[in-house]
Amino acid sequence: MVFIFGTPFPESQLVSKALRSFYGLGPQACTKLMARFHIHDTARVGALAEKQINNLAGELSEMTLENDARRQLQDNIKRLRDMGTYRGRRHAMGLPVRGQRTRTQIMNARKFNRVERRG
Amino acid sequence: MRPSGALFARSVWKGPHIVPLPIVRPKAGERAPPVKTQARAATILPNFVGLIFQVHNGKNYTDVRITEDMVGHKLGEFAATRKRFSYKHTKNK
Repeated sequence: MVFIFGTPFPESQLVSKALRSFYGLGPQACTKLMARFHIHDTARVGALAEKQINNLAGELSEMTLENDARRQLQDNIKRLRDMGTYRGRRHAMGLPVRGQRTRTQIMNARKFNRVERRG
Repeated sequence: MRPSGALFARSVWKGPHIVPLPIVRPKAGERAPPVKTQARAATILPNFVGLIFQVHNGKNYTDVRITEDMVGHKLGEFAATRKRFSYKHTKNK
């Protein structure tokens, strides 16, 4: 087990997958991070040097991740709702926000679009 | 209805969509009269804050009081154009 930013990861896991398991860190931020610390795409967590792990942890601590990122998302939706915009209202109704059709296929909107979005 | 101007990114060189609106600056102690408009696509500028707009929704004019958060959005985002469906029981078959 290797601890990155307080989270344990098995040594056989890809570094990119381990990084992307943080909420708020996607493929783009992941490739940027790995390029900065000279980590290969196929590198495994076990192959990381102590210094690289510390560098990664230091960089992660400056990003908005996990609950902070979720709160940011919720605040953005809440701001739209409080202003009384169309987008905020669509979130509250659980309907598509960006003008999609509502006759069929709104499963994802039903699931995700709400004022207290879970992330 | 266009959901949001921010989603359909506009070229920077064009600047915000500015519509000449009849905004009257009230004298001290007087209240500004509401601005009646059909320009739903007009971008809300910082000097609109505190004013009341009557924005057309296709049928009548809804009152919108501009707050600081709204700057950068469009007027139309705050005046709903759709009515909620309500079932009315038919008497005669």
